[in-house]
Amino acid sequence: MSLSDNTIGETVRIRKRQLWDRFRYARQDLTEALPQIPGVAYAFISPFFILFSVFLAFPVFYTLYLSFFEYQGIGQGALIWIDLGIFWIEIPQITNLEFVGLGNYARLISDSLFWQSVANTTYILVIQVPLMIGLALALALALNASFLRFKGIFRTAIALPVSANIVAYSTVFLLLFNEQMGFINYLLTGIGVGSIPWLTDPFWARNTIIAAVTWRWAGYNMIILLAGLQNIPQQLYEAAEIDGANRWHKFRYVTVPQLRPVLLFVVILSTIGTFKLFAEPYVITGGGPTNTTITIVQYIYRQAFVNINLGYASALTVVFVTIVSIFSIIQIKLGGEN
Amino acid sequence: MREEQRQNAVWMFLTYTFVLVMVLVMLVPLYWMVVAATLPQSEFLQFPPRLFPGTAFFENFGALQGRINFLQSVGNSVIIAVVYTVLSLLLCSMAGFAFAKYEFKYKEKIFYTILATLVLPIQLLVIPLFLLMAQMGWTNTFLAIILPWAANPIGIFLMRQNMKSIPDALLESARMDGASEFQIFYRIALPTMRSSLAALAIILFLFQWDLFLYPLVILETPDMYTIPVALAQLTGAQRIYYDQIMVAASLAILPMILLFLVLQKQFVSGILAGSLKE
Amino acid sequence: MASEIDGWGWDIAARSLQLTAEEYNAEHDATVQIEEFGRGAMKDRLQTNLVSGSGAPPVAMLESIDAQVFIDTGSVTDLSDRIEEAGIRENFVSGTWEGLSTDDGIYALPWDIGPVAVFYRQDIYDEYDIDPDSIETWDDFIEEGQKLPDDIALLNLPENDLNGVWRYQFRQLGGEPFLESGEVNINSETSLRVARKIKEIYDAGVATNIESWSSSWFTAYGNGDIAALPAGAWMEGTLRAELPDTSGLWGVHLPLAYESGGSRATNWGGSNLMIPNQVSETEAARAWDYMMWTLANEEMQLLMFEEYGLFPALETTYDSDIFSEPVDFFDGQPVREVYASVAPDIPGYRFTADTPEVSAAMGTNLQRMIQGDMTPEEAIQDAAETVAENTGRDLA
Repeated sequence: MSLSDNTIGETVRIRKRQLWDRFRYARQDLTEALPQIPGVAYAFISPFFILFSVFLAFPVFYTLYLSFFEYQGIGQGALIWIDLGIFWIEIPQITNLEFVGLGNYARLISDSLFWQSVANTTYILVIQVPLMIGLALALALALNASFLRFKGIFRTAIALPVSANIVAYSTVFLLLFNEQMGFINYLLTGIGVGSIPWLTDPFWARNTIIAAVTWRWAGYNMIILLAGLQNIPQQLYEAAEIDGANRWHKFRYVTVPQLRPVLLFVVILSTIGTFKLFAEPYVITGGGPTNTTITIVQYIYRQAFVNINLGYASALTVVFVTIVSIFSIIQIKLGGEN
Repeated sequence: MREEQRQNAVWMFLTYTFVLVMVLVMLVPLYWMVVAATLPQSEFLQFPPRLFPGTAFFENFGALQGRINFLQSVGNSVIIAVVYTVLSLLLCSMAGFAFAKYEFKYKEKIFYTILATLVLPIQLLVIPLFLLMAQMGWTNTFLAIILPWAANPIGIFLMRQNMKSIPDALLESARMDGASEFQIFYRIALPTMRSSLAALAIILFLFQWDLFLYPLVILETPDMYTIPVALAQLTGAQRIYYDQIMVAASLAILPMILLFLVLQKQFVSGILAGSLKE
Repeated sequence: MASEIDGWGWDIAARSLQLTAEEYNAEHDATVQIEEFGRGAMKDRLQTNLVSGSGAPPVAMLESIDAQVFIDTGSVTDLSDRIEEAGIRENFVSGTWEGLSTDDGIYALPWDIGPVAVFYRQDIYDEYDIDPDSIETWDDFIEEGQKLPDDIALLNLPENDLNGVWRYQFRQLGGEPFLESGEVNINSETSLRVARKIKEIYDAGVATNIESWSSSWFTAYGNGDIAALPAGAWMEGTLRAELPDTSGLWGVHLPLAYESGGSRATNWGGSNLMIPNQVSETEAARAWDYMMWTLANEEMQLLMFEEYGLFPALETTYDSDIFSEPVDFFDGQPVREVYASVAPDIPGYRFTADTPEVSAAMGTNLQRMIQGDMTPEEAIQDAAETVAENTGRDLA
């Protein structure tokens, strides 16, 4: 007997509601059900917020401030000072800043290398994030399966890449994917495919970066998704089974909705992480060949630490943050807040 | 019945195969890293590539330890990462709890602001932060590394997300029994968050473990270096000391493995129902 | 003077400083402590410290190519008074000062330079009947290179540093990347000559395009798949350290001229020492004292040269016997003479704070040129325009 998807979905939904009621779960409607105990709330938040304001807010505002200036050299005197009685904080003027207003931003618009880096980063992002999340999800589901043995070992093994030092593992990939001497091409020629110019061809160089990043972070994301999966009450699955749901139905009607917040979390985090990609292209390809793998943050680093154009680097950062924030907000909206 | 059994068997086979292949893919580069650690540099840069470990591990390790005090940097990294993880877990879970379970003014705005900082690339934060630390006289201290990101946006995001699913009824009944808010947090909310806390612990530990540019600039004396900073001293202008880097990287994995093992128990199927039995 | 100071350097350069610091500490009532860093790590850190005004050491290593970038931050001490007082200016190779000076002063003391020579595998030259003495120009060189079989290249054009290749040849022909009045000049006729020559070399089929310093690169030279390596004198140290098995197989000849009788003197690389201006007077005084001891002192410079292969910028050392000594690694050839023969004639070169832009643009475009995506004219013109746009300078 086959039940139509709709009926099953319907049944699961009703069951679910009954379950929730039965355990007297309140509706997850924040604005109605939550207590207003402001004092306590602030107490809980304050340690977090104090550290946050001091250490993160200041650099942010400083960067924003710097973006309107061109760095001219070391200055004397203080930028601002705060006299708090007991102690005295002085932020030295680190530069003779020349106010250029929107000059840095104007330059940015016509900076072809910047836009190249945007294109590179986007290309990598669009392929790497779905690939990795898909992989992580599949692995999490696999490792959550009741029949699977040795879960602990598998879990550790798959998550292990994340513990490799970035420079070290990038070097390993550099050597593995070496065109003449690397292991990968050795295998490929062995099975008759022939060697691929992993690092000297733009298309393949990007793929190498994608492979490296995916390898490293898939296990990490798997762990997070696994935790999310394990938060789903067994009863929901049991209820669904009672109604004849098969594997696919269970996945679609129980797992996915329950997992959505965590999945969204992982997607947003990975997207931001890949947007911020720096170490892998820096070590493995150096941004090449011919600037086809240079990422936005790599370009910012170059401006700040090699060319020492702090003002311009700050402006680039502001634009970068804006782009990524917009992207993330869109993702949140699309993903839907639970 | 047999059809179902067969389908189940096929499914199990596929799943196992998939997992095993992935395990292989994940482990091969790491295996190679360890092999590289056991060979002298001239030998492992050969073609065809060497696949089996050699015997030069202790030699390479000796060279490594001689050039940079690697063991000490491991110690430093571990101390910093552990303290950071515990501190940040506490702060993030407290704040996440508040965001998930209380109402207060500007809640949404504050939350999104915090989240927005996630996007910032660390490269540019380094210079203002260094300025700040220099002013406060905190350069070359562990404190300077632990504090800035103790308020970790990822942490608060994850905690809030997961804490939302704690049944309010549970908290209400505790309140009615006269428990203080902090007790509610500590005794009721936290225990149900085991897997999430474990996942967050890994995220936080790893974040701190990997941190490179900022510690590079803040830590001034070699006895304070963390692992990534110490390793950075091995990539010179010309010669990259592959053998030593691989030894260091192989050893650096061990604390992470330890962490995973320690947190294993927390990754149990969290059944909320269980906590309601009382 | 302060009795204890730090110094920063990377790699073997740092180690060579440690050597001289030992000597210094023994003879003076002071402690100079040299710290060795990874090159990238040190630059990141130094830059941050300089820019934020704290944390920099009294003595720091400064590579010639980015000297102007650091000087431009306004955080480096002007040494011109001290140099004049010590009267040592004439003792150094004259071509080294330009990159360390601005209109307002001189900001570092030259340490080592990289007079360019061609390191070649004697065994390969002999096998294929290539006579180094008969090679004077690039045309000669390429012609001889045709004698090599298909699987052996004459030289390498590094895909990651074509800018370096361009720069040493451009300098050899007297080119200046920027005019005195500041305009961008990398699209000059001279530059075009160099770009065309690079293309010619590649099209003649005698060059590989491997990333320099990569494992493939080392392996290729180690195996004898590439016959010659034009590089700065410091390359000797690298060859010895990385390819010890090839000892005795190498020789050195002068770099190629563009035309018969043309200049064969040019430079690739080199470092200097500087004093950040955030340190106290007493520390700066000690730093200067140490710098003089190490760099303006023949004995110390020769010590660093002998131990670590750092070719002194101190011209007065060139009449030392050490230069005529036979060197085993080069099968007994007194190679130091070769370097010393061209060093005094090294032309000056106008590095600026925008040199990194030039490096990036040139490197990218020349690689594209080699790959056939651009003509030499397009390559240098586009590079010049990019630099001009990014730096707000005019084109010459």
